[in-house]
Amino acid sequence: MAERGGGGERGGFGRGFGRGGRGDRGRGGRRRSAGRREEEEKWVPVTKLGRLVKDGKIRTVEEIYLHSLPIKEHQIIDTLVGPSLKDEVMKIMPVQKQTRAGQRTRFKAFVVVGDGNGHVGLGVKCSKEVATAIRGAIILAKLSVIPVRRGYWGNKIGKPHTVPCKVTGKCGSVTVRMVPAPRGAGIVAARVPKKVLQFAGIEDVFTSSRGSTKTLGNFVKATFDCLLKTYAYLTPDFWRETRYTKSPFQEHTDLLAKPTKAIYQDDVERVEA
Amino acid sequence: MAMGERVLQFLGMPGPWADDNSEPSDHYTIKIGGLPDWPVPQFPSAITHILRCAACQSLCPDFCWRAIRVQKLSSACEEVGRGAASPVSALKDDRCDDLWTFGSGEEGDDGSGEDIDLEELGRALSVAASLASHSKKQMNNQDTKTTEKHLPLSLGTRVVAIDAPVLPCFYTYTQEEPSTREVTVVSSNYSQDSEQEETWEKESYEYDRTWNADRTYLKFKKSMDAFPEQCFRYAYGGKPLLATAKVENPGTCKLCGGPRHYEMQLMPPLLYFLQEGANDCKKHLLDHWNWMTLVVYTCSKSCSHFDDKGKFNIEGWVVAEEAVVIQFEESLQESVHKDYFS
Repeated sequence: MAERGGGGERGGFGRGFGRGGRGDRGRGGRRRSAGRREEEEKWVPVTKLGRLVKDGKIRTVEEIYLHSLPIKEHQIIDTLVGPSLKDEVMKIMPVQKQTRAGQRTRFKAFVVVGDGNGHVGLGVKCSKEVATAIRGAIILAKLSVIPVRRGYWGNKIGKPHTVPCKVTGKCGSVTVRMVPAPRGAGIVAARVPKKVLQFAGIEDVFTSSRGSTKTLGNFVKATFDCLLKTYAYLTPDFWRETRYTKSPFQEHTDLLAKPTKAIYQDDVERVEA
Repeated sequence: MAMGERVLQFLGMPGPWADDNSEPSDHYTIKIGGLPDWPVPQFPSAITHILRCAACQSLCPDFCWRAIRVQKLSSACEEVGRGAASPVSALKDDRCDDLWTFGSGEEGDDGSGEDIDLEELGRALSVAASLASHSKKQMNNQDTKTTEKHLPLSLGTRVVAIDAPVLPCFYTYTQEEPSTREVTVVSSNYSQDSEQEETWEKESYEYDRTWNADRTYLKFKKSMDAFPEQCFRYAYGGKPLLATAKVENPGTCKLCGGPRHYEMQLMPPLLYFLQEGANDCKKHLLDHWNWMTLVVYTCSKSCSHFDDKGKFNIEGWVVAEEAVVIQFEESLQESVHKDYFS
């Protein structure tokens, strides 16, 4: 994680965040319709990771990311990132299919979720009803939450505000390139990727895109891929050898169990830079 | 299964905990955990006989799950009872202390000191044993009458070693799964874009997916979210709800050689409930259970082939082993969807 200097508060979410207005396309929104049963609200975890999260043994999402464990339940994100997670519908598009009886229209919802502080997710769902598509897309977006690495343009004062280096993401024919920008530059991007970057918590960045950006699906996924790459890029601060820690699965097995295999706990020689 | 017949899909929902984990119940009761209830007291020795590996005559040392089908044979009428999965695990040496005794006389032929950790046998055995009662309702193809035959509950003959660890036991009830119907009314409230300055290209239909989960798993999770507490699913001859797209071939029936078809599957909430109910000393047993679903395939003809050697049947009950296919969670490398960004 990039270092944080002691610095002034950034105001976090201040920049035109939030829902309503242009964000809330179509109706249905997020209110619970009368048809949903009480039972649906209860969460019984399906995966081992889910059971650990429900038990409270894992406190932050970062522990999960550190060990590259796949997050297969959206309730995990709800529990760990929870209330700071905001969602917004970017667009609802009708998708039509020609049938003998005429045209069948379904709706495709694009939803982005994020906490404005390094976690963002993207969900795309098609459904016959707008409300179902939105609800499904929110769940898919929560399943796809990724960490976003932020860095500095120049001096390392204050909190990280931009991407750590130039990164580029691609989806279909669309490539999106993000370049670090100085403070105050703001997010220089088209409306759709700007929304994704705001939710990710990036404050300043220059972007450039190439390819058929008229395809909304590909454009927004290319931006997402670009954000995914921020932590995939090896910068010199990661040159130090990794000190392995126990994965949550090993750490939280019962103490009475006999250890069946060696647990990584390397004592690594620290190489002084 | 006749063509066009709708297969009823049942869900097993959790019910009350047993007062005592070792308490016996009727062998038609559906329960998870505890000790198995056999229709006839001589069963356990026969079961271990079946579970032996044909090649080396020893019980399989690996941690594995086995399904046992128990079916009543009778000249007058046929009752169907099925057994379900159970792990015959822990044949490792450190489990020597888990002995399940039935009285000293019967252990003789098994070889002394046969250490079988059969405590979990109770589990699915009980889960399945109850399916007998279901099968009766669903066997519309059977041309036999199903009459109630109550075998006496021989509580007295079941002797269990006091210190044998037993999994927490709870009973279940079944309900039919309602088929989800989405209202097909097109939302008339959909409003056109207020801003027209962006024109987007037409989008096409896209199946559910994320960069780390595929369509099969998402459908699985959707069914789980609709009924979060389902412990097992039952649909004789129906389609299983798979967690990963790849499924092994269940093989053919060991008795008649006929094809096997899906009958039931166990779901993860079962693990959650057992872990909740287990106190510390048993938690380490449950820690190794990390499957997403256990699918049980049984003989599609529901055969009850009478074996002359008597190897497969005891006292008018036929015992057969069926196939269990386990599906595990995928690691991140396996689940990353390579086509997502293309």
